[in-house]
Amino acid sequence: MKVFNYFNKFSLIAFFSIGVLVTGCKDDDVPDEENELEVITDVKLIFTNDADATDVVEASAQDPDGEGVEELEILGEITLDADKTYTLTYEIFNNLESPGEDIGAEIQEEDDEHQLFYSFTANAFANPTGDGNIDSASDPINYNDNDGNGNSLGLSTSWTTSSTTISGGTFAVRLQHQPDVKTASSGATDGDTDFDLQFVLNIQ
Amino acid sequence: MKHVLFLFTLLVINAPLFAQKSDSCIYEMRGIILDADTREVLQYVAVNIEGTEHFSLTDPNGEFLIKKLCNSSNALTISCLGYCDTTCQHFNEYSEKSTIYLKKEKNYLNTITITAARIKEAGTASISQRSLDKEVLSIDPNQSLAAAISKVEGVTFTSTGNNVQMPVIHGLYGNRVLILNNGIKHGFQNWGSDHAPEIDISSANRVTVLKGAAGVRYGPEALGGAIIVEGNPLRLSQQFEAKVGTGYQTNGKGYFVNSEISQGLDKWSYHLGTKYSRIGERYTPDYLLTNSSKVERALNGGLRYHLNDLDFKIYYSYLNQNLGLLRASIANSGTAFIKAINSNEPIIINEFSYNINQPNQLVQHHLGKIEINWRYADDAKLMLRLGSQLNKREEYDVRRNADLPIIDLDIVTNEIQLDWKHPAWFELNGLVGLQMFTQNNDNNSGTQTTPFIPNYNTFRFSAFGIESFKKYKSTFELGIRLDHEYNNVRGRETSQNIFRDNYSFTNLTTSLGYILQFSDNTSFRSNLATAWRTPNMAELYSYGQNGFKTSFGLLRYYTDDNENGALRTDKVVDLEESNISPEKGYKWINEWIKQKKKNTYTITVYTHYIQNFIFNRPLGVIGTIRGPMPVFINDQADALFTGADFSWQKEWSDAINGTLGISYLWSKNLKKDEALINQPPIKINYQLDWKIKTFSKATSSQLSLKPSYLFKQFNAPQTIQTEDLIDGSVPITKDSKIFDFKDTPSGYLLFDIAWQLESEKIKTGISIQNVFNTRYRNYLNEMRYFADEPGINILLSINYFFNIKSN
Repeated sequence: MKVFNYFNKFSLIAFFSIGVLVTGCKDDDVPDEENELEVITDVKLIFTNDADATDVVEASAQDPDGEGVEELEILGEITLDADKTYTLTYEIFNNLESPGEDIGAEIQEEDDEHQLFYSFTANAFANPTGDGNIDSASDPINYNDNDGNGNSLGLSTSWTTSSTTISGGTFAVRLQHQPDVKTASSGATDGDTDFDLQFVLNIQ
Repeated sequence: MKHVLFLFTLLVINAPLFAQKSDSCIYEMRGIILDADTREVLQYVAVNIEGTEHFSLTDPNGEFLIKKLCNSSNALTISCLGYCDTTCQHFNEYSEKSTIYLKKEKNYLNTITITAARIKEAGTASISQRSLDKEVLSIDPNQSLAAAISKVEGVTFTSTGNNVQMPVIHGLYGNRVLILNNGIKHGFQNWGSDHAPEIDISSANRVTVLKGAAGVRYGPEALGGAIIVEGNPLRLSQQFEAKVGTGYQTNGKGYFVNSEISQGLDKWSYHLGTKYSRIGERYTPDYLLTNSSKVERALNGGLRYHLNDLDFKIYYSYLNQNLGLLRASIANSGTAFIKAINSNEPIIINEFSYNINQPNQLVQHHLGKIEINWRYADDAKLMLRLGSQLNKREEYDVRRNADLPIIDLDIVTNEIQLDWKHPAWFELNGLVGLQMFTQNNDNNSGTQTTPFIPNYNTFRFSAFGIESFKKYKSTFELGIRLDHEYNNVRGRETSQNIFRDNYSFTNLTTSLGYILQFSDNTSFRSNLATAWRTPNMAELYSYGQNGFKTSFGLLRYYTDDNENGALRTDKVVDLEESNISPEKGYKWINEWIKQKKKNTYTITVYTHYIQNFIFNRPLGVIGTIRGPMPVFINDQADALFTGADFSWQKEWSDAINGTLGISYLWSKNLKKDEALINQPPIKINYQLDWKIKTFSKATSSQLSLKPSYLFKQFNAPQTIQTEDLIDGSVPITKDSKIFDFKDTPSGYLLFDIAWQLESEKIKTGISIQNVFNTRYRNYLNEMRYFADEPGINILLSINYFFNIKSN
């Protein structure tokens, strides 16, 4: 009788063992594909002449392996004509995936958390004057777009070049991600950087 | 195992004995030995009259009789050997501070309180180890497991902020320290330095730290040691007990409530415990640590059924945590990192709040266990233990999709253990076991980012045997284990292409232990053991940013011979094609304990050689679209760790007791002949306990002073300023000397005071941590790059016991 009891208990043990074995069985699931929104591989700056839409100047920065160890490449210089007004817009992509992920649209969607800041060779532009707002957020930049709170975004900005020529100047742009940080006065060092790029600027 | 389960000497004072007076040696002594808690009789307990040949074993009724004694007053030595039947087994499970009574009616002896030595787990008796019991653990139920055990010499913790703390034993942590929760290996996302074991210390009845390699008994990963968390012992024959506790801490305005009930009947026993705790943002002496709040909910319960030779136990525990990480630690660019690291204060400081925003971690851990013990003979036992765990982890980061987790993982761990403690065979006592361990890790979709860790399945089959053998004053212990592990990995590259890998390892682990009991006061133990572990998934496969680090796993980078050995990260290397091997450790640990009058000295000396030691280290700075970024890689090299722990306990008087502890560790990367990063510095601490005379209804009152000094870590990598890395003035390659981004913090003196007062139903305590509000940074806290440690904290706690044991 006692032996029979033990037998019962062991069948219980066997039952649990099988349960554990079954749940531990091999599966072969692969993580689902994700739309990678964290990585930016390509940023293209597009200067379009307000007077002539076919007059377009482009420069881009590429980091083809995203977070990988390959160094960033700056492709092209920004060469603008003197005494002209341009509108600067962007193409921002993660091209690690195909088709590429439009991060620009993502930034537009979260406009209240983002702002673009600029820095350039002093007096390269007649408007805005100065050297940009990276060093001091209140310095003038002609933002064409605002977020829902009326604060500047910067995916579209206006630039009137000066009449003097410049060769080998700099034009830097920085996109800051400022969740719960962005205000009318927040600057280029508030929040975290999504991109921070420096180009050669020529005005001829 | 035929271990000495308890060995104690006690002096019977003024014991009026059953006596007849006609001859000089006619006294006899009778008694019953009962387990004071369960009231169960203890058989095969050896009773010896000290200094004589008089000796007796208790019979199945727990009774003993010693005749022909020459004195009416005798000192007794009572020892209970491992031959004990189930009764003794119940007893020894909670033996550390058990009370044994000799039954008053039969022998007229006064009750005697004794402290029994804890029974060491088979295969670990020769390893230096320390236990902390509930008394100590319950002082601050809010602290982490790692912080609670860090008072043991040679043990400290590494942390990521105030809420994530991982135990470090002799310089090793993470996968190199195995954590056993109620006999089950804690199955969690055990990688990186920001994942702490999800264990609520208020559920623990005792925590034991094994400081040697315990791989034979517990399996791979016990390379650097093991931490054994035991739950409520589920005693039988114990009256209903209930406890409610609550507390408040000033730093972070934290509070907790916990409760516990337990009862043991003749055959049944149960317990149930719950806890809720919440702490707001902590203050350093100068500023607030924004987003350092945490919330924790815990539940645990157990049920036991005892039937003759069989004993069944079921245990379940649940822990839910929301842990905030320092907001200012998130730097998405080199510029921001430089700013954060060079700033004396965190770059983001907001108003005090209990709220937890990104970055944070949401974790849920379920653990279920079934354990069946069948004691089919007096000296033999079969044990079957089944464990199942589910760990769900979501991590949130400051990013464009901050409302979505950046890491979302479910890991299921199952384990079967079958142990056979065989009957004594010739002189050998031993334990033979079979284990099966499986783990299934899955990423949940919807993170909008490439999984940091791949999906994987691990299967491990193990067999081990441990034998011990005792000769005169020496005990030898020999262990051997064979593990076969198979891993199947499926992940995604950032291009969303799938990568797969399969690999397996078979490893032999051995251990050799020796204990020499010179005398009752002096003992020596030595253990030489090997252990191994496979690299964890983050060490192999991590790619990109996690927290403030951009890090690459061992299989995610390679040197391209076509490009002058340039580092590349554009493919995932197959493990079999790589030169990556599992870590293998050889640890030799010796401990010498000497008791001399009112002094007890313990010296532990160890040497640990680890082949293929894997570590995460700064690599340099690379240009990215976000600007220059500091980058870390996982690297492998042979390493040596050697050190010593010393403790000196002295009873200054009946009321005053002091303990001095010193921990020293020296480590080196042997391959490159340089220092290792993040190794614990020298620590000296003292604890002075003063038992104060009690008043009114209080039964005990104790004041403790605890100064401690942590030295600066001098054996650390050189520092290179991030600016110099970015502008290239200090060129760094993979083969450069190891460096760090910031100097190691200076040494610091901390001072803690604690006062405890106990009465029959109430136990209350006040402790003040960091009394002088010292400003300091801890080298082993990853947040040391960004912020100071918390300042003064006053912790008040009160526990109310509804029922107190009738005796």
